[in-house]
Amino acid sequence: MTLVHERTSQFFEGVRRRRREIVTPEGVSLPVELADYGERLSAFFLDFGLQLVAIIVIVLSIIFVAVKADQSGLTGGIALALVLFIYFLIRNMYFIFFEIAWRGATPGKRALGLRVIDRQGGPLLPMAVIARNLTREVEMFLPLGILLTGGRGITGAVDWGQLSLAIWMLFFAVLPAINRDRMRGGDLIAGTIVIALPKRALSGDLVEATARFFFSEQHLRAYGAFELQVLEELLRRPDSPESSRVLDEVCDKICRRIGWTAPVPPQDVALFLRDFYTAERAYLEREQLFGKGRADKFARPGETDVAPKSG
Amino acid sequence: MAPDSPSAVARAAGKPTLTLKSSEFRKGREEGWRELETLVAHVERRGVRTLSLHELQRLPILYRAALSSLSVARTIALDRNLLLYLENLALRAYLVVYGPRIGVGEGLRTFFRHDLPAAVRSARWHIVIATLALLVGVAAGFLLTLQDEAWFSSFVPTGLAGGRGPASTRADLLDKVIFAPPPSALEAFGIFANFLFSHNTLVGLMTFGLGLAAGVPTIMLNVYQGLTLGAFMALHYNRDLTLDFLGWVSIHGTTELGALVLLAAGGLVIADKILFPGRYGRIENLALHGRQAAQIAAGAVLMLFVAAILEGGFRQLVASTPARFAIGLGVGALWIAYFSLCGRRRPT
Repeated sequence: MTLVHERTSQFFEGVRRRRREIVTPEGVSLPVELADYGERLSAFFLDFGLQLVAIIVIVLSIIFVAVKADQSGLTGGIALALVLFIYFLIRNMYFIFFEIAWRGATPGKRALGLRVIDRQGGPLLPMAVIARNLTREVEMFLPLGILLTGGRGITGAVDWGQLSLAIWMLFFAVLPAINRDRMRGGDLIAGTIVIALPKRALSGDLVEATARFFFSEQHLRAYGAFELQVLEELLRRPDSPESSRVLDEVCDKICRRIGWTAPVPPQDVALFLRDFYTAERAYLEREQLFGKGRADKFARPGETDVAPKSG
Repeated sequence: MAPDSPSAVARAAGKPTLTLKSSEFRKGREEGWRELETLVAHVERRGVRTLSLHELQRLPILYRAALSSLSVARTIALDRNLLLYLENLALRAYLVVYGPRIGVGEGLRTFFRHDLPAAVRSARWHIVIATLALLVGVAAGFLLTLQDEAWFSSFVPTGLAGGRGPASTRADLLDKVIFAPPPSALEAFGIFANFLFSHNTLVGLMTFGLGLAAGVPTIMLNVYQGLTLGAFMALHYNRDLTLDFLGWVSIHGTTELGALVLLAAGGLVIADKILFPGRYGRIENLALHGRQAAQIAAGAVLMLFVAAILEGGFRQLVASTPARFAIGLGVGALWIAYFSLCGRRRPT
């Protein structure tokens, strides 16, 4: 199903986000947008950086305390044991901890507006979080290590074991690209997907209560829902010379298309467009209620669900 | 419609106006959406436990109201910003309202009492296969090294051999390894156990994760582990140390090898579900059974923790072969009893 507002997003952003649907127990379908590879990679590197910083800070402070406490080997031993344990804990528990405590988000994911959810829309259980992170060590940290050393052993010679690991790394790297839901190995096991869920704000209603320009049904028949929403998006843009130039152009086009002969004074362009938007929306919404909604200007009344046409 | 709404005022002033159903609809409900948005943002930041009782009661009511608003808006409104906002709000609220309801403590209890042993039991054939792979490796490693000790160096990586090899004498093995004096407690528990745990976990999770590659590497890794063990056994057999060596290995080996077999079995469960999806699609089937595999793996990682403490801390402390056997076999029997007897009844 191509919803009109999704098509408008595609028109403005140029790319079409992949969507899945979750049907709530109340029977309402909610679209979810899959996260991009780029977003996920940035989130991962953000988290990775945070882990590194945390480890360095903790290790340095432990060393500092240990050196201060005394010089004997005993404190040094305790410090080393602590460092090893904390390193292990941070490296293995960071993702699990945050994804359970923050409901499917880590600091990196939160910064990029990403969330881990159950693929079927059920609750994200702690076991699923553990499952998707069990393979992270072999899926990401190991390949990262190989990348950093360039597949060479300690002696500098090419290590065949490392190279075969690198091939395996390729297998895991292409995994998200060869399934519909962009799931990596851990996601496959846990049955989870990563979605983009940035907060959206509700802006004011563009509808004008009192109108200065009036349009007849003849005028309003020229357009469909898609054009209406493109106009809405343009009207919501913040004021700038660029946006007012675009509005002038759009105003010209609309006047020509609907056959508006009276001149529109330059200072009234925005007002004219808002009035037109209000009238057009009122008209289209009424038509839609009568089952005669139009997806766009090419559609016949009643065609509310058409695939985007080219050109 | 209320008599003082803007359009009515405008009409009174003699100007023709438009009344949009979608606009009126929005005016009536916006307050509820904003309230829900605040609540959801609060939960996303601070968790559901910080909500007051009143807020907790409001949350599902507001959520259902928002869902109903969304359904209505989809049929009557063409306001793009409104539709996107409602979809976003409804999804965020949905994730809060239908989020997991089990606390960490309760989750852990069901995991140990029921989920883990049940998952292990349902993977018994995978465990059998993983064990067979290990045994094949042990037999091959043993027989080959028995004939020609040169095989030892190709089966055992230098790091693991720790100086042992065809050149080792009986006294070397006995005094420097099997009955070597115990290190200090700190070194044993703090550093050696730590290192062992990290290393074994990495190897074990590799075996598990490789299940995604149809399980062949999982089996190969298991055979390889067996080869290493078999080579060691042959080395000691040739020096008439078989029993002492077995005791030295078994004190932690029953737990450690058990864990490695379980991790491999978890990997094989994954491979099984990929290769033979049954009546579902591969991805659905994997999601259905993947958590079972992950439960096995998580339990096995905990076993590795126990094994590391036994190996790093207690092995050298207990300097007698019968005592080592007793501990090793006793712990092994406990694991078997736990996995086969516990959690047979579904928790209520």
